[in-house]
Amino acid sequence: MYRKIIKRSLYNMRDSYLIYILACAFAIGVFGILISLGDNPSVRVSLRSWNSFISDITIMMSGLFAFCAFIYMAYVGGFFIKQQRNEFRTFEKLGMQRWVIVAISFIQTAIVQAFAWIIGLSATLIFQKFMGMALFYLMRLRFNFIMHISWNDIFLLAKMFFFSTLVLSVINAIKTFLILRRKTVKREIKTRWWLRIPAGFFGLLLLFSAQICTVSLFYDMHTISYSSKPITEIFFVMIADIFGTYLVYFGFLPTILNTLQRIHSVSYSGINMFSFKYLKERLFQNISILWFVTELSALALMLLTFCYFGYQAVHRNYNSAYPFELAADKNTAGVIKQELKKSKAHIKGEYQTAVKINLVSYYKKDDQDYIRQPMTFMSYSDYMSLPKRMRKWNGKINSREFLKIDYNGSIFENRHFKEHDIRVKDSPVIATVKTGSSFPYGSSMHFGPMMVVPDKYYQKMPAEVEDVFYGWDFKKGDRLSTKQLEKLDNFRDAYYMKVNFKKTLNQSTIEVLKKAPNNGSSIYTQAGFLRQGSIKKNFAQGGGFYLFIVSLFSIALLIALGSVLTLRILLRDDYQSRQLRTLQKIGVEESEVKRIVRRENTLTFLIPLIFALAQSIVAIAMSNTGRHISKNIILIYAGYVVLYGLFGLVSFKVSWHGIKHKFSL
Amino acid sequence: MQIIVKNISKDFGKKRSAVHAIKDISLKVEHGEFLGIMGPSGAGKTTLLNMISTNERPDHGQIIVDGQDLTQLHDRDQTKYRRNKMGFIYQSFELLDSLNVKENVILPLALNRSNKKLIEERFDYMMNLLNIKKLSKRNIDELSLGQRQIVAAARALINSPGILFADEPTGSLDSKSATILLNYMQLVNQREKTTILMATHDAFTASYCSRVIFIKDGVVFSEVVNPGNRDKFFEQIINMQRTIGGGSYFNVSQDN
Repeated sequence: MYRKIIKRSLYNMRDSYLIYILACAFAIGVFGILISLGDNPSVRVSLRSWNSFISDITIMMSGLFAFCAFIYMAYVGGFFIKQQRNEFRTFEKLGMQRWVIVAISFIQTAIVQAFAWIIGLSATLIFQKFMGMALFYLMRLRFNFIMHISWNDIFLLAKMFFFSTLVLSVINAIKTFLILRRKTVKREIKTRWWLRIPAGFFGLLLLFSAQICTVSLFYDMHTISYSSKPITEIFFVMIADIFGTYLVYFGFLPTILNTLQRIHSVSYSGINMFSFKYLKERLFQNISILWFVTELSALALMLLTFCYFGYQAVHRNYNSAYPFELAADKNTAGVIKQELKKSKAHIKGEYQTAVKINLVSYYKKDDQDYIRQPMTFMSYSDYMSLPKRMRKWNGKINSREFLKIDYNGSIFENRHFKEHDIRVKDSPVIATVKTGSSFPYGSSMHFGPMMVVPDKYYQKMPAEVEDVFYGWDFKKGDRLSTKQLEKLDNFRDAYYMKVNFKKTLNQSTIEVLKKAPNNGSSIYTQAGFLRQGSIKKNFAQGGGFYLFIVSLFSIALLIALGSVLTLRILLRDDYQSRQLRTLQKIGVEESEVKRIVRRENTLTFLIPLIFALAQSIVAIAMSNTGRHISKNIILIYAGYVVLYGLFGLVSFKVSWHGIKHKFSL
Repeated sequence: MQIIVKNISKDFGKKRSAVHAIKDISLKVEHGEFLGIMGPSGAGKTTLLNMISTNERPDHGQIIVDGQDLTQLHDRDQTKYRRNKMGFIYQSFELLDSLNVKENVILPLALNRSNKKLIEERFDYMMNLLNIKKLSKRNIDELSLGQRQIVAAARALINSPGILFADEPTGSLDSKSATILLNYMQLVNQREKTTILMATHDAFTASYCSRVIFIKDGVVFSEVVNPGNRDKFFEQIINMQRTIGGGSYFNVSQDN
């Protein structure tokens, strides 16, 4: 008989269990893949330099993942026990011993966990190769990923299966015991409108002010290095969003439904009279969960935003540091060319640009100080003849404008503001310049800022030092051997510039030295050559691994949150299901009952989605990307909307199917 | 409304384990008649009521109401018909816990998108007719079982249905509440000329009907017509119940 009871319970809630099992199986599958990646032989061979790092990271990430997954399983697994409380109480009334009921819930949980583990481990076996290949693809490795799970991993997974199943089953058994001890069922929810109405409007006010503050943050974020305003704004937005959302769920949305219900011209029409009250009841029941899901979704989106902008910034910094695979100045170019001939490198592109070095002075707004230093000058025509990637992150200029390229303080920053009044030795003052941070030939080829000037200005400008920069792109690298690189190491520094600052800029001079002076201030070094070598490979691999982990975690988090909402919809209280049946009995059309279910789904999925999206905009403001939202971030957000939309659609379909089946509609 | 049921039958379950709930039943209910359907548990009373009220489709046969064959209607049209022309009272009341008394009662009119004035008028009329005006703002869980059933009756009658279906309406009530409800039903039947079909296994309840049919094992076993005297009618019903139960009134007496 007990077998039959368990079978029946599992069958009755099969739709909800299926969603729970699939979500758990996904988590277990990802956990298994992460664990097995660490000691996969193909990862070890292909990523020799990363081996311990990858292994450490995968172990750490899988641990974190397992912890989150366990919390999810314990929390959501409790829904099913709660759903069965009436059934358990009836068993007790019928004379079933308490420990038997507790044992039933224990076995039920164990069976569900076993299913989830079987599917999850099968997913590990099936998708390990696929995920490994995806990782290699993202890390740009042309290597065959071999499917492999070590005995250690198998034992670890088996242990995890045993202990997690045991612990989760015990947790549910305890929950069942507590349900049986509490005799009364309290369904009544205190409306407390005197509290809900003001709280709701205050929440709305908080959310609105948070949005206004977010807009202001877009303008103020660049002042973060010297002003406390952005920090205050961020703090306010976070607090206002978190509390505002809860208060809106607690007070504003129920108030809206309550008001609609009181407007007779609206509520006395069709099914509205019932649906407003029904939705209000469901909302009261799910306030904390909706709030929790909203905040975690917003957090997931914010993390994705930071990760995206972080990756972009690192990528941009890398590209501005190494625009060419190999760069050199005129003193080293000859030696480099000889070595390249020897190494038989396949040159894809070769560039050279003449530059002048002169002394400048100007007021630097960020440092709030007058600066005097040498600066490299390049003509507009030469700048424009370089590949487009060199100019991508700089402000756009025409042939009459000036562009100052300088090191960027913040990796997130991408502002193109203007600077004024730059004095140049023996040349006219430059009244206004646009700014940028992407150096042609790489930031390391320069000792300080660089200026792109109109051709006429360049020609007329006397130079303290004249140089020519060279840059090469290769097909499959420069192929320079270790021996050649050792030889080239002697040419790291091309020359040194000792600046003798006098009272005025025109009296100041630059002295070029071949050898590094032993002492003295105002010494600037011109790099002889710059080679990205293995950095590019490491960068691509690191970036790929980072993308792999971040996307895996984000998807898992969104799946977990989506499934929580779906299960909240599916697991209605008995009396709530009965009411839908009553409606059908008294002549409510199928389409109208369906509309109630649809409204419930919309309320449950759409509102957290909107609130999470609104809250996560602050992350874009914090990343300060020139007050515009990039295409890729829209794509990331769209992906989130699509994923939630899919969950909403699935939960509506499953929910409606369940009702139809239950009531034979 | 006149109801003609022609040769309807209904099976539940699949081939081997199929249960023949209704076997080729035919009957006629005249306009304004108060028909009782009696029989032991599992005889098919509720199934017959559900089929006539279009809540279930018969496997065979026709159900003709005022000349319209309801079995030929699409599900959606059946629902509309049910909503506009029929009222229901169930043993379990089937009131919506989320709504208060007034909202429960006016729900059928709201579903039909009737205008607000008509809704208020009909509500006041029903509240006065059934004498439950003072309950209108209460929640369902604040009512006694008898009051719940009266509220369910008010909901069933608010849109002046042509037919009222009552499935064991007194099943959950004490005798006093049952009597009040049955008096109201009789009142509505006489005043509004509403055709009432009531399934019950209680002879006292059935004695309020103008005619009672007896069902056993899915077929109409016999029928008793109210002779105009409720006590006599009650006795006839009891006799018929005994007969259905396995012996005649006299057999029972002889045994004693």
